[in-house]
Amino acid sequence: MPKKINLDIVEVENREQRLGTIIAWSGTANELHKQSNYQGRGCGGGPGKGGCQLCELEGPFSQGSVCSEQMVECQAGHVRDAVLIQHAPIGCGAGQVPYNSLYRNGLAMRGHQVENIRCITTNLLEDDLVFGASGKLRQSIDDAVARYQPKAVFLSSSCATGIIGEDMESVAKEKEEQYGIPVIPLACEGFRSKHWSTGFDAVQHGILRQIVKHNPPKQEDLVNVINLWGSDVFTPMLANLNLRVNYVIDLASVEDLEQLSAAAATVGFCYTLSSYMAAALEQHFGVPEIKAPMPYGFAGTDAWLREIGKVTHREALTEKYIAAEHARVAPRIEELKEKLKGIKGYVATGSAYSHALIQVLRELGVTVDGSLVFHHDPVYDSGDVREDSLGHLTENYGDVQHFQVSNRQQYQLYGFLQQVKPDFLLIRHNGLAPLASRLGIPAAPLGDEHIAIGYQGIINLGESILDILAHKKFHDDIKKHVELPYKQWWLDQKDPYILARHPELIDD
Amino acid sequence: MAEHTLRQIAIYGKGGIGKSTTTQNLTAGLAELGKQVLVVGCDPKADSTRLLLGGLAQKTVLDTLREVGAGVVELDRIMKKGFQGTRCVESGGPEPGVGCAGRGIITSIGLLERLGAYTDDLDYVFYDVLGDVVCGGFAMPIREGKAKEIYIVASGEMMSLYAANNIAKGIEKYAKKGEVRLGGIICNSRQVDGEIELLEAFAEELNTYLIYFVPRDNIVQRAEINRKTVIEYRPDTAQAHEYRGLAKKIENNTRFSIPTPMTQDRLEEIFKEFGLIAALEED
Repeated sequence: MPKKINLDIVEVENREQRLGTIIAWSGTANELHKQSNYQGRGCGGGPGKGGCQLCELEGPFSQGSVCSEQMVECQAGHVRDAVLIQHAPIGCGAGQVPYNSLYRNGLAMRGHQVENIRCITTNLLEDDLVFGASGKLRQSIDDAVARYQPKAVFLSSSCATGIIGEDMESVAKEKEEQYGIPVIPLACEGFRSKHWSTGFDAVQHGILRQIVKHNPPKQEDLVNVINLWGSDVFTPMLANLNLRVNYVIDLASVEDLEQLSAAAATVGFCYTLSSYMAAALEQHFGVPEIKAPMPYGFAGTDAWLREIGKVTHREALTEKYIAAEHARVAPRIEELKEKLKGIKGYVATGSAYSHALIQVLRELGVTVDGSLVFHHDPVYDSGDVREDSLGHLTENYGDVQHFQVSNRQQYQLYGFLQQVKPDFLLIRHNGLAPLASRLGIPAAPLGDEHIAIGYQGIINLGESILDILAHKKFHDDIKKHVELPYKQWWLDQKDPYILARHPELIDD
Repeated sequence: MAEHTLRQIAIYGKGGIGKSTTTQNLTAGLAELGKQVLVVGCDPKADSTRLLLGGLAQKTVLDTLREVGAGVVELDRIMKKGFQGTRCVESGGPEPGVGCAGRGIITSIGLLERLGAYTDDLDYVFYDVLGDVVCGGFAMPIREGKAKEIYIVASGEMMSLYAANNIAKGIEKYAKKGEVRLGGIICNSRQVDGEIELLEAFAEELNTYLIYFVPRDNIVQRAEINRKTVIEYRPDTAQAHEYRGLAKKIENNTRFSIPTPMTQDRLEEIFKEFGLIAALEED
């Protein structure tokens, strides 16, 4: 059995410790799956046991990344009736700007009243680091409560507070008693983990410890959906099984978070995001996690729905829905396949999400022989092999020849795209998309993470690809008029990881 | 039978006052009483468990982390058994002048928690902390959910009492908002004139008491050279009995208080009352 998630400690255990997460690797999807040894790890209790560790590459520099604290901004900062206080220098709050735009868009898409994000930073300065800044934190909590009357207050740490050992837990406890609402310290210093996804886990850890209710009355028709700000595709889909949806964490209310423990099951759109919360809800609150491939493509969606049907005792409804949907989408998918014949795609997204999108592309007959994932988790928190998303991909849809783990390194993406020369790129975290455009490759930035979910998702994605392929001429024009910022030496390299394998080249 | 509770204790005091020696001899005394004890050295010098381990080279938590990475550290790599089953951990830290030793303590204690070092069978956890609480990291052992009991090791020397008073200021901050309490002053004697009286008066002013007076005895040094606690090295000596006495006092201690640190002027008045400053002026 995998190690149980420990909710007794204040600080979340980071991904590399729990799951053996890596951020740089190069090979085939089959080889990555073999080296990950999902089953062995799942049974053996994490990294270091149950098989050798993945041989991670380590580059001599990093061209770009994200901070765990930004994941806290985009999760804790997006809880509708809560406030996030960033106990940090002002620069750590830079993400408030893009996350405000995502928040407002998300609210509009889900039919909530559109409003601005409620994030505050304590604006730590030199004196605060020398003398400590618990006074500022107290004042910020008081101000936030007076201004917004929140149902919960999240406090995020920063590198600065982590290094000086600022005791945020005591302040949180004091203010929680004073105001009678959860005041939740989140350990998300950028240096705590090599991958930003630990920030997701930090927020989920805090919610599990301080917001989720113990032993609430069960709601047998409620399903938790752990997602971001995507459009509402789960409600109509699960309505066919007479199930209601509890979307968390983004755009949820504190009450939605409280009732996580009342649900009949938990699902997610991507195991990268949902792994920690879903496993902990099962282990500590008795809410079953749906252990199945993710709902992408026919095989994944079928298996996912059947597992929901089984866990919520709705098998007959499920079979009826699956049959109806297969019949409904088949003609349109055949049309799309015809139009996409001979087209080659490339996927550059978060880890499990990439596995999912490649499945959908292959359902559409699109060739995919390359993908970039920003990190790789060899196992997920439940350790259950049915969640082995990479294994599901390789087993049902075949290998991916050029499968790269690269933490948003644009200089490497150039080389990856040269290896496979795709006709289009699917991408999240849009910073990499302009490079593709400069190479004349149209890119679809998937702002709505739910676009490819379920049977309808196969159609949606196919239609989106047709849309972006229509921009090909525009991208060819861009290619003609721009130069890349790299030297010819780099542009001629065949191995995008040559600097990781031979760091001495930097000195030459 | 009373409910089994884990007592987590932090030992503070001026650098060089004998915290590590006192802590190890005290824990040896508790081990003799059949208590299950974990000692966590929170000093970059990593010399808090040498006597319990018989001088065994203990790999520190931070060195181990640096060598093998956090994902693969297992408890038995960083926790060794010493005298009569005492469990010993050294946090370690960076070399002098680089990095951040305070952050090192935060990292180490976090790792111990995650690895499950705090087992239900433990009676005591002792944190032996660097002399001066110079930053938030050194207060980690007395944060929420950790040591609730603090003892300050001091002597009749002026600088030791200055340091003790400063430490009390830190404790007061934590005590006022939580459950942390000062359990007393342990005197590690330097054979200063009127030492007991001075320490008793100092302790009273601090709203605590002198829980034990450990006399000075060269056998302590000899035991240290032999990499042993006095209790192990010469179990029948008077000094070994003194440490057993200290262990019993700690075991039975019920006097816990929020300290009332004094101003510099008041501290110097006490020195004057007990002839310390006069003695210095005469010199």
